[in-house]
Amino acid sequence: MPGTAIDQDIELIIEDVGGGGGGKPPVLGGGGGDDSSGKRRRPLQPSPRRYYTGVTLAILSILMFFMALASAFIVRRGSNDWIPVHIPAILWVNTLILLASSLTLELSRRRLASSDLRGFRALWFLTTGLGILFVAGQVFAWRQLLLQGIFVASNPASSFFYIFTGLHGVHLLGGLGALLYVLLRNFDRAKVSRPVAAEIVGHYWHFMDALWVFLLALLYLGK
Amino acid sequence: MSIYDSDGTSPYELAPDPSPNFLSRSLLSSDHKTIGLQYLWLALLCVFLGMGMSLLMRLHLAWPNSGLGFLGVFSNTPDRYAALTLLHGSLMVFFVLTAAPQAGFGNYFLPLQIGAAETAFPNLNLAAFWMTAVSLAGMTGAFFLAPAGGIKLWLVSVAMFCLAALLVAVNFSVTVIDLRANGMTLPRLPVTVWAWFINAILSILIFSILLAACALLLSDGLLATHFFRASPPGLPTVTWQRLFWFFAQAEVYVALLPCFGIVTHLLATFARRPVWKERAVVLALCGVGVFGFCIWGQHMFATGMAPESPMFFGLLASSLGLPSSILLLSWLGTLWNSRIRLNTAMLFVLGFISLFLSGSFSGLFLSRRDLPVVSAGDEFVTGHFHLVMGVAATFAVLAALFYWFPKMFGRRLNEGLGKAHFWLTFVGVYCVFMPMHWLGLIARAVPPVNGAASSYASGQVSELRSFVTIAILLTVAAQALFLVNFIGSLWRGERVTEGNPWRATTLEWMIASAQNGSPSTQHSQPLVHRGAYEFDASGSNDDFIPQFIAPKPLASQRLAKPER
Repeated sequence: MPGTAIDQDIELIIEDVGGGGGGKPPVLGGGGGDDSSGKRRRPLQPSPRRYYTGVTLAILSILMFFMALASAFIVRRGSNDWIPVHIPAILWVNTLILLASSLTLELSRRRLASSDLRGFRALWFLTTGLGILFVAGQVFAWRQLLLQGIFVASNPASSFFYIFTGLHGVHLLGGLGALLYVLLRNFDRAKVSRPVAAEIVGHYWHFMDALWVFLLALLYLGK
Repeated sequence: MSIYDSDGTSPYELAPDPSPNFLSRSLLSSDHKTIGLQYLWLALLCVFLGMGMSLLMRLHLAWPNSGLGFLGVFSNTPDRYAALTLLHGSLMVFFVLTAAPQAGFGNYFLPLQIGAAETAFPNLNLAAFWMTAVSLAGMTGAFFLAPAGGIKLWLVSVAMFCLAALLVAVNFSVTVIDLRANGMTLPRLPVTVWAWFINAILSILIFSILLAACALLLSDGLLATHFFRASPPGLPTVTWQRLFWFFAQAEVYVALLPCFGIVTHLLATFARRPVWKERAVVLALCGVGVFGFCIWGQHMFATGMAPESPMFFGLLASSLGLPSSILLLSWLGTLWNSRIRLNTAMLFVLGFISLFLSGSFSGLFLSRRDLPVVSAGDEFVTGHFHLVMGVAATFAVLAALFYWFPKMFGRRLNEGLGKAHFWLTFVGVYCVFMPMHWLGLIARAVPPVNGAASSYASGQVSELRSFVTIAILLTVAAQALFLVNFIGSLWRGERVTEGNPWRATTLEWMIASAQNGSPSTQHSQPLVHRGAYEFDASGSNDDFIPQFIAPKPLASQRLAKPER
């Protein structure tokens, strides 16, 4: 089958790119048909590997940031003025939405690997939509709490609830921006190819996903 | 614009690009050399401001009742004194000790030493510099505001500085991981690069924590949240100290790590010997980072421990102990039986070692758990950490400046003035900070009776205080020598004719002296063939082999050097 052959080819290219080769190429242009010739050429452009490393280190930094917040949460929880916050039910729905968005992102990358640009666009668009839905859901959860009279300044637990969800939301908005960038960017002139950009954004998005699950578990188990 | 010559014969230079105008050439340039220099200028400004402030503080402590005419605009209140202390500390710790050795020299020399054309993300680098500059403006502005608003502005500025430091750290790490020249394997990295790299990783970890702490404290101030305030006021919470001290403890390492690298590098170059046990040194540098971080981690999740307890200082000192004794051993091993080139840069390196040693000795006292609780306001502690962190790191920065000045400006700093400056400063800082230890001990030994100390002790204390103040006056005055030397040498210094005036082995000396501010373009990457410290201590003029020299074929090598 021709489809699978191209699929494997592009998988190879992606690996190649990850390992330091590749660059800006006829290889990784939209078509994906004319790739076998240019694959092993030495890159003229700087290798995109630096973007992987950079995003990995940024993720490490964000992780430390939230670990510090988590540490403050754990220590603060022991004090006498702690009044637990009941977590709004919609957060569970939001979590499912976010997990689904990670799934669609991977499916969309798979479409891109099989050079189905239209399918990639559609699924990537769906991912972005799910991301926006998640943010809307978080805002709705805030509204519910506000209507119950639980404000950010009410007590330590509510402060932590708002700051966790808020700061995670800020980082997630950055991820949404990156999703939109990959969706709208014309990659003919970009420093990185579309598969590379999609993979890097994917890493960040999955990290946001996992981070949210961690924060939710912390809020739920630690209340 | 320089080109590495892959044959390793002689480097040559291309005409620099004509740059459009001053703004895009300097202030908005994303060239790593320009940005590095800008960090150094910033640090120079801050170190003199900070020194002036310390002088004011000591004057006040020695003669509390005397007023200074030109400071009449500020009310003479304890608030102002506290704000002055805060500004002194912020300028010195953030913009001098953190920024100069890492972001300043690191930006300039890290890409050059690994044979990279640029850092990995030049635009992020530029953004980081401007965030640092804005944060400096913010911290200075905070001094002039009333305490309530000032502290918020200060926090925003610190958060801004953290973000900038994180960008620099990510940029450096990626540069070292992905942009090394061909043949520049990890064991061949100069120790300076190792230090910058490990420090960048450590910075990624700890500045995130400080950023989180700032975010929480700021939201307490702006949104009335309850992270550090109990919700019925009065209940004690310790979270702020916890988060802050985790950062502050590692911050000591962040300031010192690049200095360790610089000192090791310069010692080898001026002793004309390979770094003794280079692998152990690199491991010790990693150890400093790992210890600094692990102890933090242990603190972070263990509840109910007051961070000011002697236990805290105990762990701090003992964690520094093992790696720093390895470093000390290596320094002494490198110096052993070597013919030292005793120029100013080397003097400052030796000064660093001396200060670091004496600082570590007083650290031993602090690490004793059976001592009464040591408070951070104690003058013993002040003396200790100024000696080990502030002054020692400044000496390393000065050594680096004397060493790399020919590379950065194409001229040499004056050796005579430099040596005079070194000796005056060296004696001066000991006269300033050693009596502070003594003052702390007196305060410990003679507890005030009914609010008043005994007349004998108070007389001694005020004498010592005056002595410290006079010593600091003279030390600050001695810095005029440095200023004269620095500014004079910029314009009138002896021009460096050869490309490698110190006969060093690392790559930055192998390219023709860079035009400052010119954007670096693609130059051919050098090929690295050997480790960073190939000196043979024979004292002859070619007693070193630069990293980019290819090994000769075996036969000709035997012919050339029959004794091997």
